[in-house]
Amino acid sequence: MSAAQVVNLLVAALLLAGVYAIMSYGLALAYGVMKLVNLAHAGFMMLGAYLTLEAFRRLGLDPLLGAVATAGVLWLVGMGVYWLLVRHVPTGDEPTLPSLLLLFGVWLVLQNIGYLIWGTQDQAILTPRTLQTLRLGPVTLPVVRVLVFLVALVGLVVLHLVLGRTWFGRAVRALTQNRQASRIVGIDVGRTAMLAFGASTAFSGLAGGLLATLYSFNPDFGGPFLLRSFVIIVLGGLESFAGVALGGLVLALLETFSVLVIPAGYQLALSFGLLVVALLVLPGGLPSLFAWRRRL
Amino acid sequence: MSSTKSQVVAPAAVGVSWQSWLGQAAPIVLAGVVGAAVPLLRDDPNTIRLLFIAYVLVTTSIAWNVLGGFTGQVSFGFAVFYGLGAYTTALLITRAGVHPYLAYLAGGVLAALASLVIGVPAFRLRGPYFAIATIGVSETVRVIANNLKLTGGASGFRVVERRPFNQLEHYYVALLVALGALALTLVLARTRAGLAMRAVRDDQDAAAAVGIDPFRWKLIAHALAALLTGIAGGVFARYAAFIHPGGVFAFQTGVAILLMPVIGGLGTLWGPVFGGLIYGIVQEQLIARFPQIHLLLYGILLILIILFEPGGLVGLARRVQRRLSAGRGRGS
Repeated sequence: MSAAQVVNLLVAALLLAGVYAIMSYGLALAYGVMKLVNLAHAGFMMLGAYLTLEAFRRLGLDPLLGAVATAGVLWLVGMGVYWLLVRHVPTGDEPTLPSLLLLFGVWLVLQNIGYLIWGTQDQAILTPRTLQTLRLGPVTLPVVRVLVFLVALVGLVVLHLVLGRTWFGRAVRALTQNRQASRIVGIDVGRTAMLAFGASTAFSGLAGGLLATLYSFNPDFGGPFLLRSFVIIVLGGLESFAGVALGGLVLALLETFSVLVIPAGYQLALSFGLLVVALLVLPGGLPSLFAWRRRL
Repeated sequence: MSSTKSQVVAPAAVGVSWQSWLGQAAPIVLAGVVGAAVPLLRDDPNTIRLLFIAYVLVTTSIAWNVLGGFTGQVSFGFAVFYGLGAYTTALLITRAGVHPYLAYLAGGVLAALASLVIGVPAFRLRGPYFAIATIGVSETVRVIANNLKLTGGASGFRVVERRPFNQLEHYYVALLVALGALALTLVLARTRAGLAMRAVRDDQDAAAAVGIDPFRWKLIAHALAALLTGIAGGVFARYAAFIHPGGVFAFQTGVAILLMPVIGGLGTLWGPVFGGLIYGIVQEQLIARFPQIHLLLYGILLILIILFEPGGLVGLARRVQRRLSAGRGRGS
């Protein structure tokens, strides 16, 4: 394999990692604040993809803008779901089984509403950009992937600013670290949880919309990405936002380069194999490798 | 539906008199008699087929209840055992000419062995992490089955048998398997084994403190459940005569197996039976015309059950019964 090919694959992996990271932030946020394993994540991603498609077909909205607008819509949807359903199930310091099953039910409902509205056939968003490429010396860059990467990057920067600089962000981080102590210092847990759940679904929607510009999709399309998100947040140590980015990169690299040795049909199995290995060998995720940060 | 009273699994009824054993076993015998009599009353291939499928589903539902209801471990991955049972049975009958009943058993045993392979690493994880790992295992196995040469990969496998097709034989086999599964849960509900499992479910650390090894009991429950699910898969495969990974190994199969006992009533004796019967019959009626409405309904039902009645249909029935008897008490 030539050096140019290696560089091409590296770039492809990096571009993929951006989407993977943004897709996993929603899951990490819901886990961190509420200790929820949000199985409905897949359903919200599907919803994001279809809303982006509808905005593109009916309103002629550019899919990248559409994905961002969709994120806004899904913020509201997520807060609604939280207010209506999620706040009624018990949550604790560890994810509870009722919350897992509840969100699984939400996934089933969303998925099948998707089937009812949009049918079973695969859809794709095709714009003039879809097949364009950018050549930088020996490296070929698909334009749409670069743009998606940039949008994902902006999303990540916004998230980091919000988490780092605002009262809401500080409340989220406090809740992630210690629920009880956060209550004592006067954080409104219910309100923060609702906003965070909304933000989590907004990220799911954004990721869904962005993925829709890269791949074809049907109402079932969230499933494999949900599992990838799990792999990523488990690799990332479940609660560390930097870990999520790292996890996304590791999975993207592994998937991209494994094509060289493993038949493409087994690619999915690879990431799930990685999940099991990660859960067993590294229950603390990649950050636990940097032991000095964990073992205080 | 017999009286709701007998569905109540007495909590911790270990070493109680044989009369109370009889009281709980009687409805099972009754259900068996009713099931056996159906073909005599209504010998219509469609009814028999519908009930056959319902019995297969009931068996898987009871199996899931052993792990999910008694031991408290949620698994999304029962399609693995169902598919392994189906493929093992199909391969043994078609390629090796093994007697079908032995092939069923082999399917179950292989599934049980697989459950150990999955369980030994996965039960190192607690609660939801185990559940997530099972999603990964299920998808991985499906992908492998899709690509495997031995089983014909994604295009499926045709079960070829040298004996004539006898629908009633299939019917009675499925009925017997379901009754056997039910009898097993009754034994579990009333012996120390079941007690240990429920202790693990209620408080793993407390169970460990009184000398119950949670890891071991989870493995046992997982293996028992896999055995039953594998046999059910084999029974289905021989009847259907054609299986493919997109069917028996599908994630949706695992989802269905989870929904039935949750809807019926987790940890109860009869809940998974009602859940399975209702699911099977509704599915067969709806899936041809409205495949989505079927799962949409169950999604909504699951949400409602989690929010309002975690005891499922059996819990609901008990609540109604309590209301009624309370009302009667005031009236007299």
